[in-house]
Amino acid sequence: MLSFDLRLALGGFELRAAAAVGGPAAVLGPSGAGKSTLLQAIAGLRRAEGTVVLGGEVLQDTDHRLWLPPERRRLGLVPQHGLLFPHLTVRRNLLFGRRGRRPGEPEGVHGDFEALVEALELAPLLGRYPRSLSGGEARRVALGRALLSRPRLLLLDEPTEGLDAERARRALAHVRRAADALRTPLLVVTHKLDEALALAREVVLLEAGRVVAAGPAGEVLTRRGLPRGPHPARNANVVRGTVARHDPEAGVSAVGIEGGGTVLVPHDASLAAGSAVVLAVDAEEVLVSVAEPAGLSARNVVAGEIESIEELAGSVYVRAGGWVARLTPAAARELSLAPGRRVWMAVKSHSWRVVVG
Amino acid sequence: MDAGPWRLILFTVEVAAASTALVFVPGVLVAWALSRRGWPGRALVEALVTVPLVVPPTAVGLALLLVLGPAGPVGGWLRETLGWEIAFTPAAVVLACAVVSFPLLVRQARSALEEVDPGLLGVARTLGRGPLACFVEVHAPLAWRGILAGAVLAFARALGEFGATILVAGNIPGRTQTLALAIFQRVQVGREREALLLAGISTAIAFATLLWVELLTRGRERELSR
Repeated sequence: MLSFDLRLALGGFELRAAAAVGGPAAVLGPSGAGKSTLLQAIAGLRRAEGTVVLGGEVLQDTDHRLWLPPERRRLGLVPQHGLLFPHLTVRRNLLFGRRGRRPGEPEGVHGDFEALVEALELAPLLGRYPRSLSGGEARRVALGRALLSRPRLLLLDEPTEGLDAERARRALAHVRRAADALRTPLLVVTHKLDEALALAREVVLLEAGRVVAAGPAGEVLTRRGLPRGPHPARNANVVRGTVARHDPEAGVSAVGIEGGGTVLVPHDASLAAGSAVVLAVDAEEVLVSVAEPAGLSARNVVAGEIESIEELAGSVYVRAGGWVARLTPAAARELSLAPGRRVWMAVKSHSWRVVVG
Repeated sequence: MDAGPWRLILFTVEVAAASTALVFVPGVLVAWALSRRGWPGRALVEALVTVPLVVPPTAVGLALLLVLGPAGPVGGWLRETLGWEIAFTPAAVVLACAVVSFPLLVRQARSALEEVDPGLLGVARTLGRGPLACFVEVHAPLAWRGILAGAVLAFARALGEFGATILVAGNIPGRTQTLALAIFQRVQVGREREALLLAGISTAIAFATLLWVELLTRGRERELSR
């Protein structure tokens, strides 16, 4: 359990952020929201006013003149581009902050150098210097270096920034595998919705230095009154569910959604039946119909009454049946959409992204 | 009796080396303190450190003489308690060189330390290093070329020191006379050919040291651009 209530002024920018999260969490927000600043303040690398409490231990409480320096917080920071020590080999980078297992602490990959090197596929890199590593390799080493210090909380700053899609997917898989194996809770800072969902169950939405929403990802991201402006969480429908069955003939897989309902996504044999998945679809991919659609190719249609209509930055956001759709003002006028009106929301199977499988 | 040129060269190099050794640790520590932001009085310390670089060296020598001379607060105390004389001894030459070359070391080392990515130092802190350990294990090793270049520059400056030295140590042949002082003295007594030879030797030594600094700094640029 991590809770923080921090205040920090930096030139013209002011960060005032308070939230409490348990389990893996993501701070999600557009660039310039203050995400990295918040991460540094939690790590003690920037001096912020206020409190940080981790698992019952007070890391800072400036009202009571308590402020632990970063070396006494035991937080494992994985910076955006790795920031490996250029004068040390990969092996010495990894061992730089290594801590032994404390009495009574559970065994795990932590502290166990060989197991970690294997889990993160670092063996071929050990004798090399950071300048000869690729971006993805450097991040893997940085992750290993942080984990070997046996942190109480792993802090990740934009872990896939600058990596192509395939490398980003592998990087996230490495983070998940390592953090799971160590049972190390993590806090990731990102402007990518899929990345937040892939790593975290709880989400803190940050915008212009303020927390605009916090809580379980599924709840926060589908809640009404999401942040205004170019926020990554703004336009997405996100659902959690369980893979129910596969129909290779029809080319679809069915996912039972938490809270009822089924969504059909393109057939993917790699998703085992019964496994948990997170699905996302952008609001602009959702169709709105005022009559029950017939002869429509979209496989996912839900009916509901319009809960809200919001016009923002030249788009109209319509919420109904638990989904949000983004329309042009002209389309909304033509359909005479109004709160309370019964509509059908339709999504093509191929519009869904399986973010966590 | 004049000291032969070899003795002069040896004495000058010894004095410059001793002065550089004397300022190295305090100079690097001051450079480190100045490279860290957000402590009160930083600007004041910075100005104090730079002063010997810009005031006339003779003024520095005069100040040293007032402090270290037999009637001065430090010189008087040393004389009474330990029986030491500082003024007009080789020790005074070393001290004069040290004070004058200190700012050069500090400035060079400081800019090298400031070039190190503060993010790296932050990571070292989260990995359990306190400020001092962080300096020894990450900050200084990454800035070593610049620190060494600063030390070489301080050494070169000490080789040519004249103004402060002549006031606090005099120009005593065979005792406090360095190459720079010897050139002055030879010219005064009309031995210009000898003075020219000594000037040539000084220039050669200074040139070689500065060339070395240049090569060191180039290497650092390469290292950073990789």
